[in-house]
Amino acid sequence: MAIEQELVEHIDMIKLAREENDPELESESVKALLGIRRNVKEKELEALLSGEHDYCSCFIEVQAGAGGTESMDWASMVMQMYKLWAQRKGYGVSVVDEMPGEIAGIKRATIKVDGENAFGYAKSEVGVHRLVRISPFDSAKRRHTSFVAVAVIPILGDGSTRVQINESDLRIERFRSGGAGGQSVNTTESAVRITHIPTGITASCQNERSQHSNKASAMAVLQSRLDQLEMARQAQMNAQHTQSLTEISWGNQIRTYVLHPYRMVKDLRTNYEVSDPDSVLEGDLDDFILSFLSTSLDKDEE
Amino acid sequence: MKVDICECVEEMRLSFIRPISCCAVSSPATSLKPQTPLFLRPPTFKTTISDLKKWHLWAKSLASSVGSTFLELDNGPDSDLLLRELNWLVEDAVETPKLFLQQPHKDYHDNSSVSIRASLEDLYMLWKQRVEERRPFQYVVGCEHWRDLVLSVQEGVLIPRPETELIVDLVDDAIKENEELREGLWADLGTGSGALAIGIARILGTSGRVVATDLSPVATAVASYNVQRYDLEEKVYVKQGSWFEPLRDDEGEFVGLVSNPPYIPSKDIDGLQAEVGRHEPRLALDGGASGVNDLIHLCDGAVSLLKPGGFFAFETNGDEQSKSLVHYIETKKQGSFSKVKMVPDFAGIQRFITGFRGR
Repeated sequence: MAIEQELVEHIDMIKLAREENDPELESESVKALLGIRRNVKEKELEALLSGEHDYCSCFIEVQAGAGGTESMDWASMVMQMYKLWAQRKGYGVSVVDEMPGEIAGIKRATIKVDGENAFGYAKSEVGVHRLVRISPFDSAKRRHTSFVAVAVIPILGDGSTRVQINESDLRIERFRSGGAGGQSVNTTESAVRITHIPTGITASCQNERSQHSNKASAMAVLQSRLDQLEMARQAQMNAQHTQSLTEISWGNQIRTYVLHPYRMVKDLRTNYEVSDPDSVLEGDLDDFILSFLSTSLDKDEE
Repeated sequence: MKVDICECVEEMRLSFIRPISCCAVSSPATSLKPQTPLFLRPPTFKTTISDLKKWHLWAKSLASSVGSTFLELDNGPDSDLLLRELNWLVEDAVETPKLFLQQPHKDYHDNSSVSIRASLEDLYMLWKQRVEERRPFQYVVGCEHWRDLVLSVQEGVLIPRPETELIVDLVDDAIKENEELREGLWADLGTGSGALAIGIARILGTSGRVVATDLSPVATAVASYNVQRYDLEEKVYVKQGSWFEPLRDDEGEFVGLVSNPPYIPSKDIDGLQAEVGRHEPRLALDGGASGVNDLIHLCDGAVSLLKPGGFFAFETNGDEQSKSLVHYIETKKQGSFSKVKMVPDFAGIQRFITGFRGR
């Protein structure tokens, strides 16, 4: 085995370096060993990403649960966590749709995560995320529990069969367009909402700089939602699909983040936990994802 | 930019002889060299991350202070929209905007250097103009994203509206119905930034051409610049002059005609949103007493301009105006056009009228 051989060689090299008293060689070899460890970890992870659509880019959607500003703030923290995670992984991240809360946070948002295996990793995050903390929005400084639902939708590649959308089944509306429109109004707001009439599924986008681009982005989201619906229909037998936001029941909790009275993040599916919530909220999610993926692989093998 | 035909028809006759009309251009064009949009300028200015963050923080709080006051006052932008525009300003002004925007908020003491396309002082000034003077964002950055294009715009040229994007789709539909239209001669009258002419040129075939006219020398300079940016000099001819005047030699040769002429009734101009009323060229907006002066002129001229079977699409002030124009064509231009109809925009307003020259 190539890796085994490399491992032995580097260990011999370290021994030699110590005998020869050559610190430069020693540190080089230690570095190489660390490199191998990282490499092996990555290979293991790649083995875990063997699902049909795992290689795809994806949309991540976050929705605040009941509880007003406190849970909307939590929703924006979760969204920020995914943005930072995706950036760490070198993925492209763009906000497609965002509905801000009245006072703080977001009611709902969709980001697009572009890059290899984005869906394969991110699908581990589907479900309800629970936060326990002293709310900064509560003047009485009481402890609050808030919930956020996360959905992940793969963006199918060219090779996959995608749902055919009839132009005549679509209703396209401009929203937040006050007043007369046309020459009377100068706004950079060109958001559109597209409704697929037969299914009632909608998608919207307002973050692009032209209406044309907003429409194209919203169409991409709509296409993926319809693809996902179709996949869900087909996959009902083996229950392998990821759920959409509307399907996720608020009982389906996957992870708890406790900031007070103690500090901990714990995954309820794998029992993996860490005592540093800040690093997790800054996007250090890979260990959670990895442990979930290996657990589900073990389950599949059983 | 366009001129009100009825108000100065005599002066305009003179202007056809002279290269620049004295009545039509409200302020003399000081320089006909179009401005380069911010995002295309070289990043020759340097500042530090920390100073740029300070500007960004200041700009954010200025935007947030607006709340919904402009929205309630005249349907202007609210804080959310201004904050989104601020992101776009960073996108256009900073050489590595993603790095800057995605950095965590910790680095206020970061003294590393960052390259920008305007001086930091100018960035302060530009954002002040945007918020305090209500200068349109598109003039601030010198461009408008329209369809899949990024068009240069500047004071004196109407900023193309999202609604108008649909005219290109209407033309596309007409061409798909009748492929002969793809290789013919098209006209965009009152082209402004050249948006429609460029949008249409990009869906025409190898021998399809567009003639774009505008009375304003600022508009023709900007339109020519945009045409160049998209390498369309072979396909789009920009001509200065009023409406049909520059096309006289080719009357009856056109397979298509589009226009987004001034259509706002004169009495409504004073009550317009500040971005429009205070900053955009009145001559591109004011359509006379009822707003339809130029639209009527276009309907009249289309009869002799278009070949049989030729297509036209005009933007209007919406609903009532579209109805009255369809009525005008059906009664006063009886037999000249067929399949005349109104088409709604995405807000559900009957924004366009389209039809075909009778065969």
